[in-house]
Amino acid sequence: MSGGSSRRRFLRDLGGGAREVRSADTGRESVPPRAAQALDGSELERYARQLVLPQWSEASQLALRGSSVLVVGAGALGSPVCLYLAGAGVGRLGVVDGDAVELSNLHRQLLHFTPDLGVPKARSAAAKLGFLNPEVEVVPYEVRLDSGNAVGLLDGHDLVVDCSDSFDTRYAVNAACCAERLPLVEGGVVGLAGLIMAIRPGESACYRCAFPAPPPPDSQPSCARAGVLGPAAGVVGSLQALEALKLLTDFAAPLTNAFAQVELTDLSLTTVRLTRRPDCPDCGLL
Amino acid sequence: MATETLDITDELCPLTWVKTKIALERLAPGDVLTVICPAGEALENVPRSAAEAGHQVALEGHAVRIVRR
Repeated sequence: MSGGSSRRRFLRDLGGGAREVRSADTGRESVPPRAAQALDGSELERYARQLVLPQWSEASQLALRGSSVLVVGAGALGSPVCLYLAGAGVGRLGVVDGDAVELSNLHRQLLHFTPDLGVPKARSAAAKLGFLNPEVEVVPYEVRLDSGNAVGLLDGHDLVVDCSDSFDTRYAVNAACCAERLPLVEGGVVGLAGLIMAIRPGESACYRCAFPAPPPPDSQPSCARAGVLGPAAGVVGSLQALEALKLLTDFAAPLTNAFAQVELTDLSLTTVRLTRRPDCPDCGLL
Repeated sequence: MATETLDITDELCPLTWVKTKIALERLAPGDVLTVICPAGEALENVPRSAAEAGHQVALEGHAVRIVRR
């Protein structure tokens, strides 16, 4: 198909298909043939409010539709991440979580409702995301990610968003993403403070470059001990989703070689610059 | 230089500008897109949005002539 006929078909579709479209094409192939990829009318309407953004384009939307993202954890951070990525039109979402929904989750984990108590979180998340955007393929993995299964779970994905709640998982995700050279968005929240970091393994500082070793056991308050407010997790998860969209579409520069520390008591945000560590056991040899 | 016509008479905001914007993205710099707009909001918003995006815009009745930047 020529670029000219492709363009005419596209313009006819954009016009609703019922009206004649006049063309005075000079014959130059200015538009590549990609009718098979074109956004349909439903997609144009669903994504209209982001498509009108000057920074966003049809190419951004198509890149998103062609992307596969693995979200590790379907809890307080994973909920906004999954909701925003599914809403934005990511083509495929893998959701990893080995836990079941508990009553104490519900104040902050927006994907799960009271009738979901006892249901595996990955399954509960997939059900809600299917309601939100049936165009997105959601694949639930009802397992806890660890160093033994991480690389296998990452297979077939273009990006990982780590929304886990333990340092063991976080380091396992970072190591696997470095090994597979998969971009990663890290995030964490406790109390009213959180951290966000975008990572391009081999190009920018990884999580282990920033934090070479996990803190000693019991030196850091856990979410269960220190508590967390739902909106604090919502802010951090939303920023993780934003960084993921940047990495997937290049509509803006992601926060690489740095992490952002957000303090929600006074709404302050501090950016800490980082450099790669040549001796990093995860990414030093990349 | 290519010249194309897009009829958005049956569309409502924001799809009026969404469809115009995507049509422009598919053209090359210097190409011309003539957008047939419904009267009212779209006839105000489409040329304004196109101008804000840096394109050259001329209004001829219900037709918005846009030269892609």
